[in-house]
Amino acid sequence: MASIVIMPKQGLMMVEGTLTKWLKREGEPVAAGEPLFEMETDKLTITMDAEASGTLLKIIHPEGDVVPITRPIAILGEPGEDISGLMETASPPEAVPAPAAGPAPAVPAGAPGRRVSASPRARLRAEENGVDLTAVPGSGPGGLVIERDVKAHLTSRPAVTPLAANLAKARGVHLSDVAGSGPRGKITAADLPGETPAAPASRSTRAVPMSGMRRAIARNMLASKDANAQACHRMNVDMTAVIDLRRQYGDLGVRVSYNDVLIRVCAKALTDFPIVNASVEGDRILYHDYVNVGNAVSVPGGLIVPVIRDADLIGLTGIAARSAELIEKAREGRLTEAEYHGGTFTVSSLGMFDLDDFVAIINPPESAILAVGKIAKAPVVITNPLGEDELAIRPMCTLCLSYDHRIIDGAEAARFLQRVKHYLQHPVLLI
Amino acid sequence: MMTYAQAIRHVIQQEMRRDPRVFVMGEDVEKHGSVFGTTRDLYKEFGPDRIRNTPISESAFVGAALGAACAGMRPIAELMYWDFAFVCADQIFNQMAKTRYVFGGNAKIPMVLRSQQGTGRGNAATHSQSLESIFMHIPGLKVACPSAPADAAGLLRTAIRDDNPVCFFEHKMLYTTQADVPEDPDFCVPFGKASIRREGADVTIVANLYYVSQALEAAEALAREGISAEVIDPRTLVPFDYDTIAESVKKTGRLVVVHEAHQNNGWGAQVVSQICQMAFPYLDAAPVHLGAKACPLPFNPALEAAVIPSVSEIVAACKAACYVS
Repeated sequence: MASIVIMPKQGLMMVEGTLTKWLKREGEPVAAGEPLFEMETDKLTITMDAEASGTLLKIIHPEGDVVPITRPIAILGEPGEDISGLMETASPPEAVPAPAAGPAPAVPAGAPGRRVSASPRARLRAEENGVDLTAVPGSGPGGLVIERDVKAHLTSRPAVTPLAANLAKARGVHLSDVAGSGPRGKITAADLPGETPAAPASRSTRAVPMSGMRRAIARNMLASKDANAQACHRMNVDMTAVIDLRRQYGDLGVRVSYNDVLIRVCAKALTDFPIVNASVEGDRILYHDYVNVGNAVSVPGGLIVPVIRDADLIGLTGIAARSAELIEKAREGRLTEAEYHGGTFTVSSLGMFDLDDFVAIINPPESAILAVGKIAKAPVVITNPLGEDELAIRPMCTLCLSYDHRIIDGAEAARFLQRVKHYLQHPVLLI
Repeated sequence: MMTYAQAIRHVIQQEMRRDPRVFVMGEDVEKHGSVFGTTRDLYKEFGPDRIRNTPISESAFVGAALGAACAGMRPIAELMYWDFAFVCADQIFNQMAKTRYVFGGNAKIPMVLRSQQGTGRGNAATHSQSLESIFMHIPGLKVACPSAPADAAGLLRTAIRDDNPVCFFEHKMLYTTQADVPEDPDFCVPFGKASIRREGADVTIVANLYYVSQALEAAEALAREGISAEVIDPRTLVPFDYDTIAESVKKTGRLVVVHEAHQNNGWGAQVVSQICQMAFPYLDAAPVHLGAKACPLPFNPALEAAVIPSVSEIVAACKAACYVS
């Protein structure tokens, strides 16, 4: 009797694992206790032994697949055993799909998806034997498929090789429509209509040297992860007031972006919390009495962070003007080194890509970075002027502050983020 | 060979000899030997102290038996008909069933309450009911329902030796049935263990008391039509052996429960419910539950027969479950 090998749960918090290596090939025998595959969790790499002896009939997930725990990854059994029934149970929709081998087959009329009226026992027998119930005529009341219908179908069903059964399922072919050419009419893979899509003759890997910008990004990001004690706080902010503020500037004919407002707000909050504006050098903390806020800009082939100098001094319209200029230069590759160095804090917005929120990596030698998600209408509970709670629809945005815990404590970071939120919700304080 | 009634009398006699705390009380149990002879002549051996006649007050003697049980005796109280349980319902459902519980286990209740029930003798609406489902419903009572002489002996001995109150349901039409009963003076049938009375592959029939014989008759008729029925007698309703039935249904895929007790809210409904939980994927047809119609039991024999399930109804239900017309 064939059995399913599942992605094992290794540790309380594990929800999925990565198959790193199959130690047996399909068709190879394996004994219980013999190493079968290697896997990786977020915590460890481990070799898993086979729990039963048999032949590795089918590898459901190839190396590299990330599979949720308890999902089937392979089938063990006797050579030649029909595993089409197990395959059916082994491929529910939530499984991470293996890379598709070709275009999805068209679903024939009356195929899976149609609700079949069948007794529980008929379903059980069908599942055990890999029978597609849609192909079984029901003899019970109202065409109900009952056990004996499945049994009758099994005895009348043409014999089929396991490979043909699998291929037929993959291509959506009804075996009852296929004439078998094997011994006593057995259906083989060659009898099936359609062809297995051939893999391109040669597929390989190519090496491309990193660009200078890519190397710098790689070096900086790794150094940041390596050197900083990065922690992260998240906070939801009501953007109603910011939207009003932008509209009011718009009425004056001045274009101010959300990012400009965020830079202005952060600059003010940074003057309130000098430690967030500081950096680490060896065993010393360097407090800067200037506030230079970087603005992460995506450019072809990478990203760059032009710096708005003295962001705490030049006011919102100043920031808007400077920012527009720097972004244009960045996109054209005309930034001078001075224009992207010397930042003390960075704001990174990816809301335009529909991100609800995300965690950014600190841009060294800075000590914190603010990641800004999209502004989206969301239901929130507010207290109305009568003091009653009610649901309101508000434009909400999630801010995510990554900070270097070596010098910024969690409570301090939280207070900073709280202040940013307060300014965003009460922008009159920016005056 | 022994009749069902003789088997009961025999076990009472043996247990009274074995344990001086065992005694019988009820209406006409002494010289009359009770209506169906289950205590015949026992007064000659044990005297009127241990085979005690009581006034016609079920509340009084069931309550007295309960008190005796609390005080360490092992009484066997006999109601003339289970229908009379309603006269002493408080003693049974509020006292017998709950005394051990409400006193935190400090009082054991090693008491048996026996009686007979059922149709077949034209005893009419207030002397023919099958009431075991009600006793199954109230927690605190064990419920035994022997369908054959050997089970009557083995279950009664287990009941007498049990430290908890046991309601022992006999059927008036079974008293004259005859069969071998083990001679062993310690022969006990454990509670909560069903008996497979006939093995089969196509449909499981669950029945108790008199309807075990009806189910066996139906199985015989079904066999002639090529349908193999398995007949299971749960023997005790509390505790209930669902596992044996579930295993059988996993094999056959079909379940028919039949009892003389009224169909609506009868114990068969509980069995269907449990088996649907335990063996749903194995069911090939909706389980069927047969019982007496929701009608007081008529005096007229023809009408009485129309109210309770017939063998042909059991056969028809099994065939329908097997999708055979």
